[in-house]
Amino acid sequence: MGSLGFSTGALAKGDFKLALQQMAGKSLSAVELSALRVEELPQLMESASSLDLGCYRYVSVHSPSSFSADEEGRIVELLHSCPKNWKIVVHPDAIKDASKWVDFGKQLVIENMDRRKADGRTADELARWFARLPEALLCVDLAHAQQLDTTMTEAYLILTRFQDRVCQIHISELDSASHHYPLSQGTMTAFSEVAGLIPKDAAVIIESRVTADNLESEVAKAKGVFEVLPA
Amino acid sequence: MSMAEGLFDSASFIEALARELGTEWRSIASARKTANEKIRALSKLLEGETSPDASVVVHGSLARLEFTNESDLDWTLLVDGRANPQHQTDLLRIRAKLSAAGFGEPGQERTFGSLSFSHQIIHMIGGEEDSNANTTRRILLLLEASAVGDYRMAFEAVRKNVLDRYLREDHGLGRRVGNDDPRWIPLFLLNDIARYWRTMAVDFAYKQHSRGSDGYALRSLKLGISRKLIYSSGLVSCFWCDPALSGQDPSERFRYQKTIAALSEMISITPLERMAKFYLTHSKSSSMQEAARLFFGAYDQFLQLLDIPEKRRILKTLTVDATYDDRCFLEAREIRQRFKDAIRQTFLQEGSPLYKRIIEFGVF
Repeated sequence: MGSLGFSTGALAKGDFKLALQQMAGKSLSAVELSALRVEELPQLMESASSLDLGCYRYVSVHSPSSFSADEEGRIVELLHSCPKNWKIVVHPDAIKDASKWVDFGKQLVIENMDRRKADGRTADELARWFARLPEALLCVDLAHAQQLDTTMTEAYLILTRFQDRVCQIHISELDSASHHYPLSQGTMTAFSEVAGLIPKDAAVIIESRVTADNLESEVAKAKGVFEVLPA
Repeated sequence: MSMAEGLFDSASFIEALARELGTEWRSIASARKTANEKIRALSKLLEGETSPDASVVVHGSLARLEFTNESDLDWTLLVDGRANPQHQTDLLRIRAKLSAAGFGEPGQERTFGSLSFSHQIIHMIGGEEDSNANTTRRILLLLEASAVGDYRMAFEAVRKNVLDRYLREDHGLGRRVGNDDPRWIPLFLLNDIARYWRTMAVDFAYKQHSRGSDGYALRSLKLGISRKLIYSSGLVSCFWCDPALSGQDPSERFRYQKTIAALSEMISITPLERMAKFYLTHSKSSSMQEAARLFFGAYDQFLQLLDIPEKRRILKTLTVDATYDDRCFLEAREIRQRFKDAIRQTFLQEGSPLYKRIIEFGVF
């Protein structure tokens, strides 16, 4: 298992600075700076160079999950101000014009989508995105994959087909309305079935909505997913 | 290019098999074209009628892509999500829309044209609560079904979860015990498919009892041809899980996901396509070539016959007493006999790649 950490949005919605404070001193090695709403991105990008993220081996920015075609150019421009060693996670169904995103190359990370979305959910649908963005890497959201297919067969197909692109994992419990929750035992068991296909150096980002008090117990559960691999 | 060519999808195993055998099956191709047109029309008609938690699932000849003159429409609104009274409203609206568009009422047994729920289908396999309707919906969902309209996710999710139950509760599946090679043929699934075939055969007699001679001749032919096709394609799908037959990765790791993926791929195509895929894989064998020619030839003639309104009417209205003297029925019966011979050659002829498997797993 590679670096492990939280999405700032899971710890403090819309307040990445507070989330970073909550993560400080918790021996975490990865962080995803969340800007899921368009209005959060400018502030995050302004702060990017001044944030003290030296303790994290892996840093990514989650770009807005929904924007208009008019907003797309500005979002791409803002994201280009990210340090080059940060990954940029994007929901494929949010992209309006893939050509605007090609220049990010391997910095760009496509995430598989949940059941509500019309695209980017399955291995076949992701393949079409990688045809448009050939250098892009992959963030496998295990909760999205499980919500789409609770047998974890689609997760297996995604991980098998795109193993060499996987650089990040999202992990959380997700209900049928796509709300994030702390991991349950059943979900941990389901995730552990395919954990053996995840590259050892892929960063694991926890998206479970937890309070600061429960942060460490959620970390322990996330580690548990990767500890006991099925035969 | 043959006349039938181009009526199939470019990836059709049936077309590839026809090319391999240097023949064509025009009625199969024509019924497929009609079915695809109907599915497009239905999908258009049902645009915006369901939510992501529900799929309109069609069964019968439409799902088999064998739509002929006067084929009826069997469908359900399959729900896989949170309980919501709105689903009943959706059902009534869809039913009214289908009726207004000229699609007839589904069969008399009321198995179709209603709501069905993932929990019943997935959880109630076997036992007292697995009713005839539930078994029918479950097995047809796997072997003879297609989703139409905006959303397929409920349909696909329920299919995979049903497969998951059959595979995970088959504890010997894909497991090496001592020096024995792992068994990859899913016996729980195979037994349920076999049970459904026997149920159809018993229900044939039940319908005769409850409906008198009404539709006897046509039902008898369907049992021996299109219903038997469903069963055969189900058996082939189970045997396809055996890496020795399909070339699938034989390692035990990820055995459930791997087997669900293989089965899902197989059941995502029609029963005829499944059979064509099997025959194509073994098309170097002259006996399998011969069986394939007989199988598809007979099926093609069956569809041709069903597509002639006058003959269909005769078969639908014949009394039991008149059936065995009727020229039309005797012609159809001969087709059914050839189809039966083809199945015998495919499964029960020594040297067939399925022979040992059907003896070992399909009989006892």
